[in-house]
Amino acid sequence: METMQFDILTISGAILLIATFGIVATRGFMDWLNAYRYQSIVLSGVTAIIGYVTGIWEIYIAAGLTLVIKSIIIPKVLTYVTRKLEIEFKLETNPYVSIRASVIISALLVALSYFLIQQIPFKSDQIVNVYLPVSMAQFFIGLFVLVNRRTVLSQVVGLLIIENGLFLFAMALTHGVSLLIEVGIFVDILVGILISSILLFRISRTFDSLDVGKLENLRDD
Amino acid sequence: MYNIATLVVGLIQVLVMLALAPLLTGIIRKTKARTQKRIGASILQPYYDLLKLVQKDEVVSDQTSWIFRACPWVNFAAMATAAFFIPVFLVYTPFGLVGDLLLVIGLFALGRFFTMLAGLDVASSFGGLGSSREMMISALLEPALFLSIFVVAITYGGTNLSTTIEASSISSFLPHPQIIFAAIGLFIIILGETGRLPFDNPATHLELTMVHETMILEYSGKSLALMEWSQSIKQIILFTLMVNIFVPWGISSSILLPSLAVGFFMFAGKISLFGIFVAFLESSVAKWRLFRIPDLIAIAIATSMIGIVLCYL
Amino acid sequence: MTDSFTLFQAAILLYVAGAILGLLSRNTSLTRTITFLPPTVASVLLVIFSSSIIISGKSFQFVAPGTLSFFNFEILVDGISAFFILIIGIVSFAVSLYSIGYSKEYEIKKRTSALVFLFNIFILSMVLVVASNNAFFFLVFWELMSLTSFFLVIYDHDKEENLKSGMTYLVMTHLGTTFIFASFLLGYIQTGSFSFDSFRHGSAGFPLLVKNLVFVFAFIGFGTKAGMVPLHVWLPKAHPSAPSNVSALMSAVMIKIGIYGMIRTIFDFSGFGASPDFAWWGMLLIVFGSASAIVGVLYAVVERDIKRALAFSSIENIGIILVGLGLSIVFTSFQLTAFAVLALVASMYHAINHAFFKGLLFMGAGSVVSVTHTKNIEHLGGLVKQMPWTSLLFLIGAISISGLPPFNGFISEWFTMQSLLSSYHIPSTILQISIAFASLPFALTIGIAAATFVKLFAMTFLSKARSKHAINIKEVSRSMILGMSILAAACVLFGVVPYLGTSLISTAFHLSSQPSSPFDSISIQNNSGKSFANLSMPVVVIIISSVSVAIFGFIRVLGGDTKKTTYGTWDCGFGGLNERMEYTPTSLSQPMRAVFKVFFKPHNQTEKESFGENPYLLKSIKIETVIKNIFEETFYAPIISSFVFFFDKVRRLQTGKINAYLLYIMITLVLLLLFVRLSNNV
Repeated sequence: METMQFDILTISGAILLIATFGIVATRGFMDWLNAYRYQSIVLSGVTAIIGYVTGIWEIYIAAGLTLVIKSIIIPKVLTYVTRKLEIEFKLETNPYVSIRASVIISALLVALSYFLIQQIPFKSDQIVNVYLPVSMAQFFIGLFVLVNRRTVLSQVVGLLIIENGLFLFAMALTHGVSLLIEVGIFVDILVGILISSILLFRISRTFDSLDVGKLENLRDD
Repeated sequence: MYNIATLVVGLIQVLVMLALAPLLTGIIRKTKARTQKRIGASILQPYYDLLKLVQKDEVVSDQTSWIFRACPWVNFAAMATAAFFIPVFLVYTPFGLVGDLLLVIGLFALGRFFTMLAGLDVASSFGGLGSSREMMISALLEPALFLSIFVVAITYGGTNLSTTIEASSISSFLPHPQIIFAAIGLFIIILGETGRLPFDNPATHLELTMVHETMILEYSGKSLALMEWSQSIKQIILFTLMVNIFVPWGISSSILLPSLAVGFFMFAGKISLFGIFVAFLESSVAKWRLFRIPDLIAIAIATSMIGIVLCYL
Repeated sequence: MTDSFTLFQAAILLYVAGAILGLLSRNTSLTRTITFLPPTVASVLLVIFSSSIIISGKSFQFVAPGTLSFFNFEILVDGISAFFILIIGIVSFAVSLYSIGYSKEYEIKKRTSALVFLFNIFILSMVLVVASNNAFFFLVFWELMSLTSFFLVIYDHDKEENLKSGMTYLVMTHLGTTFIFASFLLGYIQTGSFSFDSFRHGSAGFPLLVKNLVFVFAFIGFGTKAGMVPLHVWLPKAHPSAPSNVSALMSAVMIKIGIYGMIRTIFDFSGFGASPDFAWWGMLLIVFGSASAIVGVLYAVVERDIKRALAFSSIENIGIILVGLGLSIVFTSFQLTAFAVLALVASMYHAINHAFFKGLLFMGAGSVVSVTHTKNIEHLGGLVKQMPWTSLLFLIGAISISGLPPFNGFISEWFTMQSLLSSYHIPSTILQISIAFASLPFALTIGIAAATFVKLFAMTFLSKARSKHAINIKEVSRSMILGMSILAAACVLFGVVPYLGTSLISTAFHLSSQPSSPFDSISIQNNSGKSFANLSMPVVVIIISSVSVAIFGFIRVLGGDTKKTTYGTWDCGFGGLNERMEYTPTSLSQPMRAVFKVFFKPHNQTEKESFGENPYLLKSIKIETVIKNIFEETFYAPIISSFVFFFDKVRRLQTGKINAYLLYIMITLVLLLLFVRLSNNV
């Protein structure tokens, strides 16, 4: 039973990482959204597993909320906002590091996360052992996406990945913070996405581009 | 040690200095005249000049301020006060407790400060020229003078001139080779301080060569008399220092009358000889170009520095 | 205790009140008088407070517990602090009075409220720096002092150059603060407390390396504030830019706070003891002191800006103070207590003297600038007839600073020379000879200083006016003259009665030997017990005055009554002698420039315009003499350009790209986590 539970945990963690890699490896905005949706579904499953393992019923609610907000509402909102944008804004054509190299870097980041977590003394808990490196890897990959990509849309996606990583981090360490706080975080994310969507729209209007490199012009020389 | 008698002898020493100062100038002038195959004026001529000048009316420039008028008095007061601290024919002076060699130099500097101001006060280019040159020479003489004093002070144990001359009168040159270097340094400095050749020509009235004369060019009457007299006092003070520190032979060590008399005549003889020596030297050298004067001062500084090293080794 | 506490509190409250009053004031002559009253009264209170501390010999301590859990607000005014508070009190009293008349100049142009506000806070912060007994609050007040003075430097911010000077000042002063901070941090690491008390008690146990580091950091840090070469570059820029009353405070008092910090650190916190290990500290001070003295005075003598010349001369005087201090350290480390006392007295006597005459001279220069509206002495001249009082007071200051008897500068220079001469007691030939050679630049400095002030005084006040700036001007107001006369009186008093100064210093610093009566001669003994040197200024003054009276009578009797005729200056019979034929400041210092040409690297730029082809028929000729500032060119310029080069590279980090910034965050994060990870491993 114990080993089987551990296997389930490991497998779910691996699936989560694969979902994250999906974002790194793809080029178009719609692909990212799909990968994100997929990742969120896995995340809610993982949350449910955590709930099952720990036996805390509140975590199931968190899992449900994850499913609803992250895999349905947020992708919907983003699709709605970007529907008017022209297709070239939605394609990441020229990242700083090529897709191939970024996949390798992401793998290194995963290794780094495992290395970093290894020595932190939380050994007693299997959930922590399995998910903490995963969450950290997700966090790093999200950050890497932010660094690497030029368009504002992919920045938003990077932010979402980081958020997922943090959510998992908190969930793994605390086994579900107070439900009220989690609901708050979800609402926060939702509003954040709304605001960034509006900004994104404005930026595309004003600069006629969604390349964050153009913001360089704001520098005071 | 310091009773009324010493105080009286001390005051007599001061008066001797003040009184003999013009005579020394007269001796130097006479010697110079003789070396140039001239008969020259009497050695008492400076006294006649002073007497005549104090009785004359003065012409004062309308550009000048009170600084110009105060300068001769400040100068004289500074030089006469400096004379209080110099042992002349007695190895000590009761005023040694009041001031030392550094004070004497300070008083000289005070006089020179006012002379330079007075030179600039008259608003002619002559005065400025003299002050400008004097600024350079005096600023450079200061360290040379201090270094040679350094040697003398640490060899004879004090800047208090009574201590210094007392110590020098009972010791000989031989254990103190540094004293010879100090003497060479001090001699060069004295030539500069008193405005002698090759630094400055006291007999000239040519603007290319004048230094001290230009600053007092506008003075007349009583003021000129005071300026001339204080310059002679400064000269006799410096010559006395030279003679008493480096060749203190015959100086009286007690206030008994016979030894005082011997001391006095020895002093008069030594200082006249020194004056004659300076006059011969002046006749045999030409005035140096202004910007070669620092070289001469550098020689004085260097010899004093060697003196310092010898002191400690 | 309670009395002095009340006095101290009252003084502080008055300064605060003055600052607030200044902010609320409007520009009328009535409020101008009122707004400078609180600092005037407060300064009097400070003088009473500090002299009562010095006389009683009891230090005044006050701790406000729990102000901040870690840093107690501690005040300790012992003899040393009281001595410096006394300097602050006397000078700020005179300057406050002076400011009543002086700030009138600024009313026309702009509001004086900021000036009054900053003026009060500036003095207050200096008092609190000196009184602080806790490293944290010391630094807070130190920074307050630096910032208020910075704002005062750029008070005339309409002029581009003032802003530049302000920036130089700001950078240099913070460089200094960093080193002071480092020095205190070492103390904190060793003792675990920021209180000066713990430094004081714990410092003897520091390892030798720490002691040396504490000293070197404090030396650089406080040396910057004091204006020591080669960290002096800010001083000749900042001091002339400030309004003159503030320049007087900065030059007379603020740079002494740097000296205070140095003394405090060396004798209290650095574990300094009577061991030859520490002799090199003193030698370091002597070397940098002599360098400051000679560099300062060489720039002063060729300077044409009256206030900048005074600022350079401040560097020179700080050098003299440092030489005395250094000698005192060397003597102490060889356990020659009597000579250590002599050198310390020399140094502190010069500190207080410099406060007096530099305050006086800056106020005098301020008076001149306020009526003529130019700082360039090329354009001045002939002011002595139009401003008799200012010129008399400036002359007193000039004689004092040139070290001429019978005024105060002579006394402290006499002491310093005697300390230099006493170096023959040191049992080390190398040190003996090096100190003897160090006296060479020292003596040269004194000589050139006299030349500098001959030039400054004569070119400003004597002969004919060289431009219309100096014609038809009026004497300054009475409050300004009063302010100057207070310091002039102090100069004369401390020169004629040195007993005042020596007993003040020896009581304040708890030194062993004290003169017993004002007429006693200051005496130094040599090895055989005879008098090495003696000085009794009151008697000297008596001799000078009786000689003057005697010669006046003698000349009068000999020559009888003679007439004085006023006539033009001798013009060689050509007539038409005018101001263009006079010596100018530049031509006056030309021999100096020529002699020290290695240092100045003077360069003449000539522009000629001739009639037609013949080069000998000149229509006009313009000669400009330029001297180089070798410190800025050879020392600072390479440093600055390498910094600019480096920061240009660093600047590339600021790309303006969000991605790059995020990358920095990411790298930082990874590095931090790695650090945690690896340190956990160990």
